[in-house]
Parts: sequence; structure tokens; C-alpha cells
Amino acid sequence: MSEDQTFQVQFKGNAQTYFGIWIVNLLLSLVTLGIYSAWAKVRTKKYFAQNTVIDGRRFDYHARGMQIFLGRVVVAIAYIVLQLVVTIAPIVGIVLFVLFFFAVPELINRSVAFNARMTSFSGVRFGFTKSYWRAFLVYLLYPILSVLTLYLTLPLVSRAQHRYYISRHRFGTSQFGFESKIGTFYKAFGLALAWMFGLILVGAIAVGLPSAVVDVYMAEGQGREPALFSLISLGTMFVILLLAVLPAGYIYQAFLRNAVYAGMSVEGGHSFESKVRPLKLIWIAFSNAIVVSLTIGLMHPWARVRMARYMASCTYVTVHGSIDGIVGEEQDKVSAIGDAFTDFEGIDVDFGL
Amino acid sequence: MTLDSDQLAQATYGEVFGHAYEKRLSTQISARLVRDANGLRLENADGETLYAGPPSNVERISGGPSLLSFGAQWTFDTEDAKGAELLIGRAKDGWLSDLETWHPRLLIVIAACLLGVFAIWKWGLDLLVWGAILLTPPAIVTAIDAGNLGAMDRILMDPTELSQADKDMVRDVFEDVRAHAPEAPYGEYTLYFRKADFIGPNAFALPGGTVVVTDALVEEFPDQDILAGILGHELAHVSERHSLHQLYRSLSIYVLVAMIAGDVGPVLEDVLLEGSALASLSYSRKHESEADVIGIETSHAAGYDPAALAEFFETLSEDFGDTGSNDWLSTHPSNADRIRIIKDLAAKQ
Repeated sequence: MSEDQTFQVQFKGNAQTYFGIWIVNLLLSLVTLGIYSAWAKVRTKKYFAQNTVIDGRRFDYHARGMQIFLGRVVVAIAYIVLQLVVTIAPIVGIVLFVLFFFAVPELINRSVAFNARMTSFSGVRFGFTKSYWRAFLVYLLYPILSVLTLYLTLPLVSRAQHRYYISRHRFGTSQFGFESKIGTFYKAFGLALAWMFGLILVGAIAVGLPSAVVDVYMAEGQGREPALFSLISLGTMFVILLLAVLPAGYIYQAFLRNAVYAGMSVEGGHSFESKVRPLKLIWIAFSNAIVVSLTIGLMHPWARVRMARYMASCTYVTVHGSIDGIVGEEQDKVSAIGDAFTDFEGIDVDFGL
Repeated sequence: MTLDSDQLAQATYGEVFGHAYEKRLSTQISARLVRDANGLRLENADGETLYAGPPSNVERISGGPSLLSFGAQWTFDTEDAKGAELLIGRAKDGWLSDLETWHPRLLIVIAACLLGVFAIWKWGLDLLVWGAILLTPPAIVTAIDAGNLGAMDRILMDPTELSQADKDMVRDVFEDVRAHAPEAPYGEYTLYFRKADFIGPNAFALPGGTVVVTDALVEEFPDQDILAGILGHELAHVSERHSLHQLYRSLSIYVLVAMIAGDVGPVLEDVLLEGSALASLSYSRKHESEADVIGIETSHAAGYDPAALAEFFETLSEDFGDTGSNDWLSTHPSNADRIRIIKDLAAKQ
């Protein structure tokens, strides 16, 4: 039997249960001066993984709190030593920073590998094959070069990063694959830019920006107050700028995710589809941010669950035959140092949806 | 409590349905966990026993499934967490799940969190900072002085161009003030002269006791009383370990926020970081005021007129303009405030 079956990803968590987990995590982290945060991270990741289900099978996260804690201790000590060296001997500090720069790809690799190894689906763990120089290229060199091309090559960089990240992952012994035409990446990039510049252009004309600017300058020259209308149109333009720039990021993210999932596969003929709608994503992200701000963070669990549920509902997996019968591999030991580093730097290398 | 549930579990016959997985295989097997007169065992849909005996590990996050391990070979998960609990007893961290349950009790947890943030901000950070200062070997502080002075000499400062007479005059004042200053925590106070036009008429201290006086300060304020006031202020920064406090405080905040960042979410993280940046400015203003107070006591004890420092700030305000009000965003209190407080204190001496 090798029929294709398509499953929608389900997220079964809800805001009430996650709120309890979140607030207790926060309290215990505070009273232990941050020490419990390692165990809190594990609990949160377990909650989201165990409640993400495909075809009745769940994800799981297997790192232990102590493991994460020890990784964080090592990284915290390294940061403090680095800081002290910079204060005591600035020249030596600069040398250390250069060494640190070259260690970044290895740290990112270790973090990705750790997260893959600690995540399972249907009882089988994921894995990641590292390459220092590939990581150096896609995470450090290419992004720096893209600045020189005025970011016009950003879609190429993004595709290279996704190819490195995805095609080096495996599920058990089944390798992931990634094949995508550059056109879809440029389309995501282009649509985001089109939204941004299009809205700025239309907005500028609609509020009569040129005449408002001229009026304000003339008024300055003649020593009179500018017309109220000019000031209103300048203020409106500011709001339009926000509406043009912020959502552009989400538009890019939505089309990019759809393109990446379309290009992703797992050995054995399994494929993926993502149907994120940019406007819906913008709406969820903005309303989340507003609600969270208005409640000094208390609605963060609700916002996070809402986003996870939407993302899951937009994701489909087409299984060729069955998910049964995929074999896992022997586990060798991994350390959590890279993971602690990406946590500290706020780099997101999460494996998952 | 553990005893109760153990007994309950041993007494309860029943079954829960779920899925079993063999080690390192994705194949999902419909299975049931059953306890009857023959004991607890894991069975597949055909009634064959996969494993007999109690689980080696039980795990459950509130609102989620129960995940059980049996020996090294089998795992079993079930949505029927309540049923599983009846059969096998509670997970070891059951108290945590109880605390997390959606219940009015969580309001107390929220209040405790707010209280916790306040307590950390008020006392926890000071505790961390004092601990770190106690752990810092004096050799490191001395090395901070040497390293910083060396680096500034290379990049920012030139050798002094003051006359020998000027230098002798300042050195005399320095010796007087030093004799009456609080004890230096890391080695003796040492005076250096440097030409550093980028900071104007100024003096600064490094944590190990190095005090640098700029040429511009001696040229524009050759008054011994003023110099005594300024030196007293700088020595107070050293004796109270102000720079170490600030260094460790910002490091602690950075580490603390970085660790809980994943949990508080992006919006609250920004609030915490911005808030702590403002708090560290108020901390810096507090240190300046403290150094003013101790400096005045020192220069008075050394036989100089402490009110002269007020004159210094008055001249600064006339020449450079006051930096404005005593606002949130300054590292130093406003000159007007400092003049008023210095005059008050000097009058009391």
C-alpha cells in the first residue's frame, strides 16, 4: 500500500493550561534568581511539542533541565570572563572577539544539532549533520556579502540558509531534502517590498505629502505657523509609514514559509505544504502585540497559543504510504552549550513548525 | 500523599487506551494499559502482552497526555491522563501540575511574580552584586586600572603639560585628602596627570584607586579648596566601589533577562530591558550624590572649605550651561541640585 494521505497538523494546547505553566515557570525562575529558567524552558518546549500532533502521533522534547542549566552556566561564565578581559586588557579582548566570531558557526551548528536530537516525532528522534564551513558561509559570510549588494541578494542568502538547515536534518535515518526555485524566494521578497513602497507611494499622494512639506518649509521661511492641514497630513504619513514597514516583515515571512515548506521533503516520498495567508498573519501578530502590551504581558500565553494554533492549521503533511516503519538511530551524547549560546543571543534555531 | 496514591493505584483495576511505540521505531501500535488480578501490563490490540510490570518513567505536563516508559523497549502515550493516574499513581512532579492548573490560586502566583520582580529589583540584584564583589580577587581590580589607563594613554590621552609647581600644588592637596579619605579597598590611591581635552576640566577614578586629573582642570580651577572637593569626590567613588557595582549590576541584569527572555515573550523582554536601563541611570545618579556627600566630609576633615565645590559647579553651569533638569535620562544629578546639596552639607560641617 503506497497511497498518499494528507494530514493537517493539529495543535491541541490551549491558553488556560499554558497560562498556568507559564506563570509558574516565571515565579520559580524569579525566586531562584534565574536558575529554574532551564527547567522552565524544558517544560514549555515539552508542552508545545507534546501538543503538536500529526495523524494522531505527537512530537516530544527530551532535553533535561540539568543539561540546559549546565550549558547555560558554561556560557554565562564565558561571557563574564570575556567581559572582564575586555575591561582589563582591551587589546586581548579584541583578539578574543575575533576568535569568538569564528566560533559562532560551530556554536550555531551545535545548537541546531542539539535541538534536532532532543526532538522526536512518533517515537523517533531527529538528527542533524553539521558542516563548519557551510555554516560559516550561510550564517556569516553570505549575510555580510548581501549588505554589499544592498540586500538585493537576500533571497539567495535565505535559500542557502534553508537548504543548509533542512537538507542536513533527518528523521530517524530518513534524510530531509530541500529543492526550491529561487523565483519563489524573490517573489516573497518582491511582494514584501511592493507592499512597503506601494503603500508609501499611495499614502504620500493621498495625504498630499509634497504640498504639506513645501508648506511647512515656506512657513518656516516666512516666520508664520504652518497650516494645520499640513501638520495633520505629516502625522498621517507617519502612521502610514508604520503600516508600510512593519507588515512587510510578516508578508515576507508568510510567503517565505509557504515557499520553504513546498520545497521540503523527507526520504520515502513524504512532502509538505504551508498555506499561511499574509493578511491573516499580520492580523494575528498585530492584535497579539496590542493585547499583550495592554495587559503588561499577562496575555502572552494566549497570544503564543493562538499563533501556534494558526501556524499548525496552515501546515499539511502528505505521507507516501505510512509514517510507520521509520527507523531511529543510536544516540551519541550531545552538550547543550550551543543551545545556551543561541538562547543568550536570541537566535532562533528551533526545530519544528 | 505519595503513599495514598500508591495504595490507590495498587487497589485500582482498570484500563486506559493509547498508543505504544517500540524503541527507535516510528510504528504506532494501538495498545492498552491494563491492571487486573494478573497485575499491570501493556497489551497490544490482539491482547498480547508487550510488557508486564510498573513503568520506569511517568511524565505529564498539565493539560497534555500521559507519557510512560516501560523498560528500555517501550513507550506508551494516552490522552486519558486521569485514567492513567488511577492505574499507576501520580508522576513525581505532580505538585507542579497541581500548581499549574487553571484555578483562582493562580492569582496568588501572579501576585507573587510581581512581588518577585520587585524584590529582585530591590534586593536580589544587590545580593548578586555584593556576592560578585566579594568573589573578585583584588589582583583583577588592579589589572582593570592598569589595562584601562594603558588603553586610554594609547588612544585618548597625552602626557601632562602642567608646570612642576602646579603638579606639586595638586599633589599636596591630594596627600591631605588621601590621609582623610575612607580606606582604599584595593591598594593605595594613586594620582596621575594627563592632558585629555576631550573631557574638558575633569577628573576620574578607576576602581583600583587610580585617580586621573586633567590639565584643563588644574588650569581653569587652580583653587586648592575646589581641587580638594573634586579629589574627595573621586576617592569616594573608589572607596565605595561604585564602578564595580555598576559593572556587575549591568552584567547580572543582562544574564537574568537573557535567561527568562524565552519565557516572558518579546514585549515584556523589551519592557524589562528598557526599565533596567533607566534604573541603572538612577543608580548612577545615586552614586554621584553619595560621592558628593563623602567627598565633602573628606575635604572638610582635611582642612579645606567644602563649599568651594559648589563654586566649581556654578562656574561649570555658566561656561557650559546646565545639562538641564534632574531627569530620568542623565547619569549625573543636575548641577543646580548638586550646588544646593553641597551648600547645605558644607554649612553643616
